[in-house]
Amino acid sequence: MERSIIHLNVADFAVAVEQTRNPGLRGAPVIIAPPGTPRAVVYDMSEEAFQDGVQKGMPLGRAFRLSPRATLLPPCPNLYERAMKALISKSLAYSPRIESGKRDGHLFIDATGTSRMFGPAVDVGWRLNKEMKTALGLDPVWSVATSKLVAKVATRLAKPFGEYIVGPGEEAAFLAPLPLEIIPGLGAEDLLRLREFNLSRVFELRSLDVSQLETAFGKRAGSIFDTIRGVDAAPVARAAEEGERLETDHEFPEDTNDGSRLKQGVHFVVASLCQKLRRKGVHCATLTLVLTYSDGIRRYARVRLKPATSSDFTLFRQCLPLLYKAWNRRIRIRHMRLVCDRTVPPDTQLDLFADDTGKRKEERLVNAMERIRERFGPSSVGPGLAL
Amino acid sequence: MEQRLNRFQDVLVGTSGYSYVEWIDAGFYPPATPQKAMLALYQESFRVTELNYTWYQMPRATAIERMCARVAQEFRFAVKLTRTMTHEVVDDRWRGEVKRYRQGLDPLVRSGKLLAVLIQFPFSFNRSIRHRQYLAALLEALAGLPLAVEFRHDSWACDSVFAELEKRKITLVSVDMPPLAHLFPCLAVVTNPGLVYLRFHGRNIRGWGSGSMQHQFDYDYTDEELGERLERVITPMAAKAEQSALFFNNHVRGQAPKNARTLMAMFPEQGPVKKA
Repeated sequence: MERSIIHLNVADFAVAVEQTRNPGLRGAPVIIAPPGTPRAVVYDMSEEAFQDGVQKGMPLGRAFRLSPRATLLPPCPNLYERAMKALISKSLAYSPRIESGKRDGHLFIDATGTSRMFGPAVDVGWRLNKEMKTALGLDPVWSVATSKLVAKVATRLAKPFGEYIVGPGEEAAFLAPLPLEIIPGLGAEDLLRLREFNLSRVFELRSLDVSQLETAFGKRAGSIFDTIRGVDAAPVARAAEEGERLETDHEFPEDTNDGSRLKQGVHFVVASLCQKLRRKGVHCATLTLVLTYSDGIRRYARVRLKPATSSDFTLFRQCLPLLYKAWNRRIRIRHMRLVCDRTVPPDTQLDLFADDTGKRKEERLVNAMERIRERFGPSSVGPGLAL
Repeated sequence: MEQRLNRFQDVLVGTSGYSYVEWIDAGFYPPATPQKAMLALYQESFRVTELNYTWYQMPRATAIERMCARVAQEFRFAVKLTRTMTHEVVDDRWRGEVKRYRQGLDPLVRSGKLLAVLIQFPFSFNRSIRHRQYLAALLEALAGLPLAVEFRHDSWACDSVFAELEKRKITLVSVDMPPLAHLFPCLAVVTNPGLVYLRFHGRNIRGWGSGSMQHQFDYDYTDEELGERLERVITPMAAKAEQSALFFNNHVRGQAPKNARTLMAMFPEQGPVKKA
């Protein structure tokens, strides 16, 4: 069955969310970046600031030289995340299969097979746009196509406002005249190489067969061959398939690079995440620690947990090396987030011969602490290091 | 002088849109029909269709050109006017939209496959002074294209409106809708002798205001209802026009093509009396 993929993209998401709070910002250049830090970089910017030459990741000083009239706003990741959740919640009314970015205003909705309930996908796309405008004040660009790839290119073409419907069978013709820069999956290095070959448009690159593409792209030749023809079978990943994602945040009262305070922060986020895991009756299989530095730059470190666990002690032991891995700059840290990327059901099979006396002792302790928290509140008891 | 047609050959019957996956389950399209193959199969049953997607998205000349190439020379398209000129009009933008719409439609005009531009206004578009002025400006901006105007609000059902449309040779779309208060009634008024245009939306009273297309257009016309419309509306209107087009918009569960075929089968051997 041909798929119907809707892609919603709120252009300049962070700015769009800020504009819903302060409509006076509409039509004016806006830069979002952490203020008061000399090495801060641009987190997001409005279309007007972009037209002035400002780009994401650009040093703030340079951004202001390019767009001196711009209004500076501090980033509010939690606010953007709430807005993202609201977008997802609206979309879930139309399909259970939704893939979203974290705080980027991108959503893929697989509307395949829903037409009997909700009508054609194009109507769903329009309705979603309308609902998001009315309820959230956001005006996402929307597209409908048979794959994520084509839908994404279509929204890129329609940006910053509007819609683009690519009919089934139209994919290859739709992509043919487009510049290669717009095609997802082709990086800066690829584009540089293609320019050396004097290839700048999709239809030009299509004249190469797979063996010729291998010269330039090696093992990726096959996927690039398909991509430029609009062939993309990648499914819209459903949250339930990936395993639920849980996370906890800790914002330091003052930016810090004090090791003991950072370690304390780790304890806090681990304890908080473990509570969430136990309440849901799941274990964590993949753990990511995200550090946000005071200049807005983020650093990640990730570990796969084998076996999956929800024990505070095990997670803390696993998380501490992540802190040292992600803490690789001399800038102070503002925010810490611990993410369980993948949850799994607890493994109930006990090891027959393992000496797990210590583990069981830890488990009993954790359970006892949990009972105390349930009775006397979440901050009634915790490990000393977290205090 | 009167001339009697030997068949209803000048009456085109079709559906509002043709690309519905649920029509596969309904049996109109064979199992596993890909959407790109639907237009070719649709042509085996009908000689005309309404393009509904242009209400959501401005038509693009390249896509329209490819579509034109996929149909027979005698096949016709009625193309809905984009919502930015009917439902979501922005004062300082709509003239630019008209320009883009005309550009997008150009391949259809050049190939002679454009039956009409369907201008469908929402129920909220009543006969206020502001709306009248907008309508006049819009019709002027679209001048030169074959136009058909569909009103949903009954305030437009008056002789002065019909006279103005007649003066401009613009078709008033005759509609079959649920008998609800203030909905435009089904009238056999011909304002353009070049084209009569009828739309069958179904008569689902409960679903009409639901906000869901799947409920609004979920209706299966009985043979009696179709027969009555044929006798009282289609036949007298078709007799006054060079060409007639009838569209079924009750697309849910394939009812539109089913009812369209039933209606076509009801066409008498002897056609309507046409005044020459």
